[in-house]
Amino acid sequence: MQKNISTILKSVQKPGRYTGGEFGQIIKDKSKVDLRIAFCFPDTYEIGMSNLGIKILYGALNEMEGVWCERVFAPWDDMEEQMRANGVPLYALESKDNVKDFDIMAISLQYELCYTTAVNMIDLAGIPIFAKDRGEEYPILLGGGPCAYNAEPVADFFDIFSIGEGEEALCELSQLYIDMKKNGTYSKQAFLREASHLKGFYVPSLYCVEYNENGTIKRFEPKYEDVPKKVEKRVVEDLNTSYFPVKPVMPYIETVHDRIMLETFRGCIRGCRFCQAGMVFRPVREKSAEVLNAQAQEIYKNTGYTEISLTSLSISDYSCLNEATDLLLDWTNKNKINLSLPSLRADSFTKELMRKVSGVRSSGLTFAPEAGTQRLRDAINKNLYEDDLLNAVRLAFEGGKSQVKLYFMNGLPTETYEDIEGISVLAKHVVDEFYKMPVRPKKPVQVTISVSCFVPKPHTPFQWEPQDTLESLVDKQRFLGEKITDRKVRYTWHEAKVSRLEAVFSKGDRRLSKAIAHAVGKGMRFDAWDEHFDYDKWMTVFEECGIDPSFYANRRIGYDEILPWDVIDIGVNKSFMISENKKAYESKTTPNCKEKCSGCGANRLGKELTWCPKKK
Amino acid sequence: MVPEKEIMPVRIKFTKLGDLMYISHLDLARTMQRIIVRSGVDIWYSEGFNPQPRIVFALPLPVGVESTCELMDFKINSYMSFEEIKERVQRNFPREMEVLEVYSPEVKFKSIAYADYTIVLHSPKIQADTADNVNSLFSKECIITKKSKSGEREVDICTFIKSLNASAQNGTVVINTVVNAGNESNLNPELIVQAIAKYLKIMDSNSIDEYCTIMRNKMLDEELNEFK
Repeated sequence: MQKNISTILKSVQKPGRYTGGEFGQIIKDKSKVDLRIAFCFPDTYEIGMSNLGIKILYGALNEMEGVWCERVFAPWDDMEEQMRANGVPLYALESKDNVKDFDIMAISLQYELCYTTAVNMIDLAGIPIFAKDRGEEYPILLGGGPCAYNAEPVADFFDIFSIGEGEEALCELSQLYIDMKKNGTYSKQAFLREASHLKGFYVPSLYCVEYNENGTIKRFEPKYEDVPKKVEKRVVEDLNTSYFPVKPVMPYIETVHDRIMLETFRGCIRGCRFCQAGMVFRPVREKSAEVLNAQAQEIYKNTGYTEISLTSLSISDYSCLNEATDLLLDWTNKNKINLSLPSLRADSFTKELMRKVSGVRSSGLTFAPEAGTQRLRDAINKNLYEDDLLNAVRLAFEGGKSQVKLYFMNGLPTETYEDIEGISVLAKHVVDEFYKMPVRPKKPVQVTISVSCFVPKPHTPFQWEPQDTLESLVDKQRFLGEKITDRKVRYTWHEAKVSRLEAVFSKGDRRLSKAIAHAVGKGMRFDAWDEHFDYDKWMTVFEECGIDPSFYANRRIGYDEILPWDVIDIGVNKSFMISENKKAYESKTTPNCKEKCSGCGANRLGKELTWCPKKK
Repeated sequence: MVPEKEIMPVRIKFTKLGDLMYISHLDLARTMQRIIVRSGVDIWYSEGFNPQPRIVFALPLPVGVESTCELMDFKINSYMSFEEIKERVQRNFPREMEVLEVYSPEVKFKSIAYADYTIVLHSPKIQADTADNVNSLFSKECIITKKSKSGEREVDICTFIKSLNASAQNGTVVINTVVNAGNESNLNPELIVQAIAKYLKIMDSNSIDEYCTIMRNKMLDEELNEFK
């Protein structure tokens, strides 16, 4: 096996993706562990190794003495071809052992377009892809990650899903596995049934789904009384004491985020109505500046990275930001470490922050107004004014930056062509702001506007909304292109076809697994990659499987319909979602969690360290 | 700022074996920066807009080639004993990488003139006379097409080979060779294998990597003494 791998590595691109052996990888004696987990990321090494969630779970699971968790990434097509031709099944990087021989094959589902790659990895491991076809001899297939909040399109491939934050939940699941093996009560079925009683685990085979003639869901219920009707997501209550990896694996080859990633807080106070992360990660929980600083120093000592990135959904909302950056800058500047603050909000961007981010190495700045007019920004609850943005870019220009990037979305609910034109007007105003300054940076101003297409997401106030048709999205992109005449403005946009496929899968139900299996059979994978994405082929797949993609992407769903993801309880009440949805049509905003609690319901999940009012 | 005279030059000799042969020179350079930084060795940074820990490598190692004689130089801002540097760096090396020696550089990398390689061929098509054929192939002239950024050109690789000796050993052919190395004139040892594939047809020239292992043993100066 080993010999085969090293022979084929000589004939593939970037063999460093497949060798393992990095500094910081965890090697255990396999004869001395009770549970072996193959932690799979259904995308390339470079993407997977950049994922903070994987680092956390890899570290947390390996902290358990009886558990050895190893990493597996999806082989690129040249490697897969060699593996299949030479009879090399999917293997884990640390031991090079076949994934098929592990106890648990865990797959992180980060975005909908990785579904084919995920299922292909199961196949490449020599494991039957459908859960119903797998006997005791195969590993337990565990899914997790953001897509597990609506895992229905891949429900038939998995045995169990971890819902919400996994670092504590997966350790509990591992312990249950070890205990049941040791006391002789283990069988796959018994284990899954028992696991369904753990908080935060969803076993899809324990629920039955019936459909109405019009394709909507008629009944979605547990098959047994002891199986919970709704699966409540897991949250980590205290980020100061929870596990955080301070000795990450150091990749040899360059990865996407090749730096120290420091998690500052989870959740978001904002409540933008299109944003799934803003809803599913509630309530807001912060890490203290001292803990953050101590973790940063520890990771620096263990890695030698020269860049630190403070991660969160919206870094300027971190209430300890000033304190934390002061603590960090005190030693990072001395050690020539660059501090970067992604996800800045324009309305809280200050001169002081500007000074702090222009430390050792300089880069551009990015803001996300999302919509071109105040009316539409109010409808999506962005709570951002044009003056805030202009103020922020002026600070950036004064600080010597001349490149600004702005993110927008097309196809948002209630959007009109006037709103789209507003994007070009706003971009123009940003350019004007540059020329209003008496003293300007030497480099010419460039404003890049990057426009994506709105994808309605489960567990958001816009979950009932239809996506714009493909024709409409394409026409809006064309229209905006015509409106942008200023040569200082660079316009980039996302492929609408990709967004449409995302919409189908993000709001999909169990019937889509047929299409995914069919697509994998046709050799489709890496759908998120331009060189692999094939929209027409997908449409053929849907047609051959008797699936109408517009039923999922372009249909307005009634408030009273049973949604495929209703089985998952993210802590936010449906009544709050409905009220938020209605407010969008009145362009009414909702205050952020710091200003006023709007009673979404998520406060019952957190403890004192949240921004939510204390439980009564 | 530390005055120039206190800045201390350091040379490290290390191995790059096993799976590390798949790590390109650029990736190695980045990896090494991080290794030195996390070792707590007070390395000197380049100045300017993007300060980086400054490490200079003697001779980039081609992907697919292993080595027991890699050299790199850097400077440190404050005194640390060579033993301590060795211990700290070794502790932060990944598996398959070993610090062999840490010392003060006396000769500059530009006086490297040759490198000594061992190439082992293990194609199933190797015959009893293959070793002899290899020796005669490189005895006078051997033209191959060399691809580079500036295009393709025909070169006689024998003009780059100082010495070459092939011998048969347990069904493999072992080639010991000394070739030009350094900035002025350099030969990638893989080209020798390519020439063998092309003229002796004992392997498919698209998959030569599968049928050979190449090890760099030594770097040599103009007088063929080992470069230190």
